[in-house]
Amino acid sequence: MAGVVARLVSARGIGPALPAIAYLVVFLVVPLGFLFSFAFLSVERGVVQPGTFSLRHFEETLADPLFWRVAWRSFWVGVVVTLLCLVLGYPVAYLYGELRSPLARQLLLVAVVAPLLTSAIVRTYAWLVILGGRYGLINSVLIELGLITRPIRMLNTDFAVIVGMTQVHLPFMILPLIAVLAGRDRTLEDASRALGAGGVATFFRVTLPLSIPGITAGCAIVFAISYTNFIIPQLLGGGNYTTLALQVYEYIVVILDWTEGAVRATLLLASCFVFVFLITWAGNRAMAWTEKRR
Amino acid sequence: MSARRLPRSAADIAGGVVLYGLAAFALFLLVAPSLVVIGISFTEKRFISFPPQGFTFHWYAAILQNQQLIDAVYVSVRLSLWVTLVCLAIGLPAAFSLVRGRYRGRTALGAFVVAPQMMPGMVIGIAILFFGSFFAFRQSELMMIVALSVFCLPFVVRVIMARLAGLDPSLEEASSNLGAGRVQTLRRITLPQLMPGVLAGAAFALIEAFDNLTVALFTASPRARPLAVELYQLIQFDSSPIVAAISTLEILLALLVVLVLARTVGLDRLPGR
Repeated sequence: MAGVVARLVSARGIGPALPAIAYLVVFLVVPLGFLFSFAFLSVERGVVQPGTFSLRHFEETLADPLFWRVAWRSFWVGVVVTLLCLVLGYPVAYLYGELRSPLARQLLLVAVVAPLLTSAIVRTYAWLVILGGRYGLINSVLIELGLITRPIRMLNTDFAVIVGMTQVHLPFMILPLIAVLAGRDRTLEDASRALGAGGVATFFRVTLPLSIPGITAGCAIVFAISYTNFIIPQLLGGGNYTTLALQVYEYIVVILDWTEGAVRATLLLASCFVFVFLITWAGNRAMAWTEKRR
Repeated sequence: MSARRLPRSAADIAGGVVLYGLAAFALFLLVAPSLVVIGISFTEKRFISFPPQGFTFHWYAAILQNQQLIDAVYVSVRLSLWVTLVCLAIGLPAAFSLVRGRYRGRTALGAFVVAPQMMPGMVIGIAILFFGSFFAFRQSELMMIVALSVFCLPFVVRVIMARLAGLDPSLEEASSNLGAGRVQTLRRITLPQLMPGVLAGAAFALIEAFDNLTVALFTASPRARPLAVELYQLIQFDSSPIVAAISTLEILLALLVVLVLARTVGLDRLPGR
């Protein structure tokens, strides 16, 4: 046994990687093929009907104005959440770089990492309590203070979805930013200050351009997970709230129309990759631009 | 260093106030919801309300009396142990080969193994569901294990690869020069050094498989639902504080894992991932 293990892990060949590669081919690549092909076929109760290949499902979906309305909402919610996460996450990552005490650094990391280790349900549930109706936290405080007499409707709105998603996805923005900001070379900033630039100018002309790779990585991941999240829109958006990802879930699990679900899942995945590619491209362009200016 | 001690202008002070004000607000936003949930879990009221009233462990006792929830916890525990086992069993050798192998296409293969982490859980869940249905294979615990392993494997391999790439090869060379066999070197030198990476990977797989909802919603059978799916159903129809009690336990568990990771791997290593 030990000999087999030793040979496996000390080999210089491809052998030890084969089980993992085979696993991903059989259980990811091939299944993805099924997912895409189901979008072109009629599927009844999980059984593919032979000889039903057609582009009709894509054509009908793309011609449907409701589809575009829903897709548009997914897109702008993703954009707003990404920008909010950037505006809130960047200062936290910057603060981490400025902290000198190891304990304070550890505490900050615990506050950022711990939420990642609790389930999406736990984190979303908290927002049901905070934004809820008459007995929700915000409404009861405002009523107690006499600022309002009747509860404000916050659940089941865009506001609730955006707030919940921003909080849940914030750590994914902060971690890549910490990675670039904590390891940055500070001599450039010192030089800028020594040459007479103010703190604000130094920040915008030195620190911010240096952190573009972290901003790009953070924005790409936060946009991708916000664009494809269906749990938070479902729980905080209420019954009439739909996004593209939520439609995929509903078609496949609730309505059991797998073809329509597959069409939307394919479009969701493809468009998500395009947007992530555009974010990365914009980040690279910004990097090139700041380097040319220097 | 001295350069940053220059007298500050009004704009600098305003900039600092905005920056640190936003940071404080963001940290508050990260932490406060958990505190609210913990508070609610001790309320004496029968529905979610704020502020919590009285103090009772009633909702914790209620978890123990809810057989459906207990069963769900067992499903989730079984699931996360299997997923971790599968990911380590195929991920550990793969990481060795992808870091230390000497063959063409190694980098491309590494990218192939790590790439699926860009894939939303929902897409993996649906793809496996469709794939299984084609062979008349229904939603089940086994299907969840297979799908969640696909979801977790890239992270496990990447964490171990990162650690392995950072190891100092001279220690292993010294070991074999001093006459240790390959097995001995592996057991006494390589694996102990690799342990933090393995631990971080295992912790990730354990937690992700336990908590995961996006993959599990598509692959779980209605008869053996994991805890996350059970809670998902529960909070859509029921607002009793029992969910707050379960959430509080999950938050405590997460803090425990963070503590273990902080002591073994070092939290500051996670950002660099």
